[in-house]
Amino acid sequence: MRRKDRGEAATAWMMSLPAILGLGLFVVLPLVMGFYWSLTDKRLISSNPTQFVGLRNYRHLIGLRVITLQAERTETGVQRRDADGSAIFPPLRPILRSDDSFLGYRELTTVTVFDRRYVVVSRDPTFYRALWNTTKFVLVIVPFQGGLALLLALLVNQRLRFINFFRAAYFSPVVTSMAVIAIVWTFLYNPEFGLINAILNAITFGLTGQIDWLIDPQTALLAIIILSAWQAAGFQMVIFLAGLQQIPDVLYEASRIDGANLLQQFRYVTWPQLRNTTIFVVVATTILAFRLFTQVDVMTKGGPLESTVTVVYHAVDQGFRQQRIGYASAITMVFFVIVISIALTQRAFLRSEREVD
Amino acid sequence: MRYARRYWMTFMLLALVSVGLAQPKDVNLWFHGGVGDAATAVQEYIDDFNQLQSGYRVIYTEIPGGAVAGSGYNDAVNAAAVAGDLPCLLDLDGPFLYNYAWAGFLQPLDDFLTPELRADFLPSLIDQGIYNGELYALGQYDSGLALASRRSLLERAGVRIPEGVGDEWSLAEFDDALAKIQALDEVAYAIDLKMNYGAGEWFTYGFSPVLQSWGADLIDRDGYQEAEGLLNGEAAVAAMTWIQSLFESGYTTLTPPDDNEFVNGRAGMGWFGHWMAPSYLDAFGDDLVVIPMPRFGDTPVTGMGSWAWSITSNCPQKEGAWSFLEFIFEPENILRMVDAEGTVPGRTSALAMSDVYGEGGALQVLVDQLQQGVAVPRPKTPAYPTITAAFYTAMDNILKGGDVQTELDIAVDKIEADIRVNDGYR
Repeated sequence: MRRKDRGEAATAWMMSLPAILGLGLFVVLPLVMGFYWSLTDKRLISSNPTQFVGLRNYRHLIGLRVITLQAERTETGVQRRDADGSAIFPPLRPILRSDDSFLGYRELTTVTVFDRRYVVVSRDPTFYRALWNTTKFVLVIVPFQGGLALLLALLVNQRLRFINFFRAAYFSPVVTSMAVIAIVWTFLYNPEFGLINAILNAITFGLTGQIDWLIDPQTALLAIIILSAWQAAGFQMVIFLAGLQQIPDVLYEASRIDGANLLQQFRYVTWPQLRNTTIFVVVATTILAFRLFTQVDVMTKGGPLESTVTVVYHAVDQGFRQQRIGYASAITMVFFVIVISIALTQRAFLRSEREVD
Repeated sequence: MRYARRYWMTFMLLALVSVGLAQPKDVNLWFHGGVGDAATAVQEYIDDFNQLQSGYRVIYTEIPGGAVAGSGYNDAVNAAAVAGDLPCLLDLDGPFLYNYAWAGFLQPLDDFLTPELRADFLPSLIDQGIYNGELYALGQYDSGLALASRRSLLERAGVRIPEGVGDEWSLAEFDDALAKIQALDEVAYAIDLKMNYGAGEWFTYGFSPVLQSWGADLIDRDGYQEAEGLLNGEAAVAAMTWIQSLFESGYTTLTPPDDNEFVNGRAGMGWFGHWMAPSYLDAFGDDLVVIPMPRFGDTPVTGMGSWAWSITSNCPQKEGAWSFLEFIFEPENILRMVDAEGTVPGRTSALAMSDVYGEGGALQVLVDQLQQGVAVPRPKTPAYPTITAAFYTAMDNILKGGDVQTELDIAVDKIEADIRVNDGYR
C-alpha cells in the first residue's frame, strides 16, 4: 500500500472507532453474554450458584410431544357420548402427572380426529402462543400501517398552506412515549366510557354495540394493532414522503397528457416509482414489529387468555419477573435466529424484483 | 520560614482530615413512592433526622413503582442487587422480601431490636419479617383489607351492618346484601372490586383471602413445595367461580374508569384496601362504615403484610441506618405516615394514640382483624413472585372467559415447575 493509502485507511479506522466501540459494547457483547447465559440456569437473585446446563433451556423451550387419547368406550365397545353428542376423552392432567417423563409439560393445542384426540404438549406453551401472536401482529400491521402511511404521505405531499402543520401533527405520535400512548388508549378502549366505542356507535347508530376491546380475547390483539399502527404510521409517512418527492413531475405531466385520471396516475406512475421506498418500509416495519412489548406490558399483560403475549414480553416476563435470566436468554437467542432468517429471506426475495432504472 | 511552612502544611492537612471526618456519613435510602402523601412523609422524616443529628446524612431516592416485578421499583432493586449496588436502606413489600433474604442481601435486625421495642410491634409485623428464624425487615405499619360502605346506604337497602370482627357476614348474607344493594336505584352496581389496577399484586392480596376462607390456599404452608389440591381443589374452584359470578350477574364491573367508583357513588360498596382510607373518610366522614371480611367457609380471612424497611448486608453505615429506622419507628412518626397513607400503625403504643385506629375509631375493624388472627400472611417463600404471578394471571384469565379448573391447574403447574427448577428454594 502506498503511504497515502495507509494513512487514509488509518484515518478511516479512527473515525469509525467510536461507532465500532459502541456497537461492540452495546450489541455484540450482550449478544455473546446472552448466548453464554442461555446455556446456564442463571437466576437474577439466587442463593444457589449458577450452573452450566448445556442445551436444557432450549429443550424446555422448543420441545414438543404428542399424546394420543382414545375416545372412551363402554365394555361392549360402544363409543360414549356426552350431552352434546361429542365423544368423551380421558382427562389429560392425570396422564401428565402420573408419568415422570411428562414433568413440566402443559397442553399447547389439541386436534380431534373422529375417535382419536392428539394433544400437543410443551414445557412452554406460552412461547409458541407468543410466536403465533407476534406473527399475526406482523402480518397484519405491515400492510395496515404501510397503507396508512402511504395514504398520509399522499395527503401531505400537496402544496397547500399550513401543510407542514399536518406533517408535524401526523408525525407527533412517533415521538410520544409509547407507555403514555398505551395508557391513554386504555382509556379510549374502555367499553363503557371510552371514546372509541362512542365514536363507532355514533357512526353506525348503535350497530357496533359495546365492544370489550381489551377484555375479549378476540379483539385484544386487534386493539393493539390499531394503536400501534396509529403510533408508527407517521414515521413511515415521512419516508414515503421523501420517496414521493423524488418522483419527477415530468412523469405526471406525461400521464395527464395521455389522459390518465388520479387513480391511474397512482397505479402507473406513483406506485412503480415508489418500489424501492416500499421495499424499505416493508422490511423496516417487519423487523420493528417483531419487537412488540410496551403496549402489551402496559395494557394487557399478555392477556386475556394469552391472546396478546409476544415473544419479547415472554422473555422479559421470564427473565425479570420469574427471575429466570438464563431461560430468557435462550428465548431471545431463538428469537434472534428467527428474525434474522426472516429479514434475510425478505431481502433476498425482494432484491430480485428490484430494478433501479 | 521553612519550618513554619511545614507546620502550616501539617495544620492544613489535619484540619482538612478532621473536617472530612466530621462530615456526616452518607446513608442512601430508596423508597418506592407509595400512595398519597407517603413520599412527602418520608422526605420529611429524612429532613428532620438529618437536622436532629450530625453523624449521618440520609439521602433520599424515590423510585416509583410497586413490588411486582416489571414495575420500576422492583426492577431497580433487582438490578442493584445483581450489580452489588444496593442502597443502605430499602423498603420492600412484605412477601417479596424473602427472595432477597434467601439470597443474602439483607442484614438481620435481631441484634438492633431491644426486647421492649420488639414487644411493642404488632406480632403480625414481626412475623412478616422473619425468614429462616431471623428478622430481616420491619415495617412501620401493616395493611388492612375489608369491605367499605355507607351506613345510610346500607340502611336504605335493608342490610344488616356487622358490629365488628366476630359478627361478620356469612357468604349467604353477603350474597343477599349484594342483591339488595344492586336493587337500589342510586347506585350503578353493587360493589367496586378495583379492577382498574389490572392483573397484578392486587388480585393476590385482595382475593386470595377469599380462597383461604373458603378452605383453599395458594400453596401448602408446610414446606412450601406443593400447590396441587390446594390451589386447584374443589374449594378453590368454588371460590373463583363465585368471584366470576359477581361479574356475570352485574354486581361489579371489569372496566371501572378509575379508582373512585365507590367515592363517586357509582358503586354501593368497595373492596377496601387501607390506602383508600384517606379518600373514603374525606368523602363520607361519619357515614363510612368498615365491614369485616365475610366468612366464606368456617372462618373469615383477610390480607396482611405491607412495605417493610430493611438494611442491606453490604451497607457501610449499618449503625446510622438503624438509628434512622429507630427514628421513624417512634410512635409519633408512625402516625405521620398513617395520616399520609391510611395504613394501620405497627406499634401498640401508636395504635393507642390514633383517632381512627384506636378504640371506637372508624378503622378499628382493620386493627381487630390483625390482632384477632383473621389476617393470614401471603406465602412466606422466595417462590412468592412466581406464586403471585401464576395466581393473578389465572384470575385475570378466569374473569375474561377462561375455564376455572383449567386456569387453576395451569397456575399449579407453573408454581410447582418453578419450585422444582430452583431445587425447592432450599
